[in-house]
Amino acid sequence: MHSGHEADGAPGRVFDLDPVVEAYKKDVDRTLLRENLRRTPDERLRALVDLQRFADELRRAGREARGR
Amino acid sequence: MTDFEGLLRALTSVGVDFILVGGVAARAHGSARLTQDLDVVYSRAPDNVARLVAALEPLEAYLRGAPPGLPFVLDVATVTRGLNFTLTTRLGDLDLLGEITGGGRYEDLLTGTLELSLFGLRCRCLSLESLIHVKRAAGRPRDLEAIAELEALREERDR
Repeated sequence: MHSGHEADGAPGRVFDLDPVVEAYKKDVDRTLLRENLRRTPDERLRALVDLQRFADELRRAGREARGR
Repeated sequence: MTDFEGLLRALTSVGVDFILVGGVAARAHGSARLTQDLDVVYSRAPDNVARLVAALEPLEAYLRGAPPGLPFVLDVATVTRGLNFTLTTRLGDLDLLGEITGGGRYEDLLTGTLELSLFGLRCRCLSLESLIHVKRAAGRPRDLEAIAELEALREERDR
């Protein structure tokens, strides 16, 4: 069991991280993680660059659609 | 869009001592989360600060989110007087950290790092175990999802 502290710059506020972390863990897409683990660190960062480009393109398309 | 390769190349080309932390480090270990900036913990040794300033000088580093026109210059005196800087550069967003909550300074973090080949460059990166440790020690609510993913990643890696 691990207790966290200093929540967002609020010293003294103590809370228990583990139940929350465990709850979040249930929703982690492990198939994506397994796929990433098959890649080298270099390939993982190159995939991040591709994802960045895709996110940028989505944002651009969104702006364009709103501007119509 | 941040040019991670360009920023790493700028830092490594002049031999800056730094450790990759944050989202890009997590990504290098296999995280699937999207990150927009490069976070590095840099050594505050005077010769390293000089190399850091030299590396960033051509990149027109400026305080992220600050109004334009402030008399901000990222020089040796500024870095020495300050500690952590959230910057925007010609190559994208860069967080220069002299110290991180839960992890300390460059020298404190070194034992929990490993060297990785990224974009053909040798970069020192916080280990997965250290990333989890630092995020847990910092105890920020906004990191909880990231901690969950990193721990799941460690479980998958060690299966």
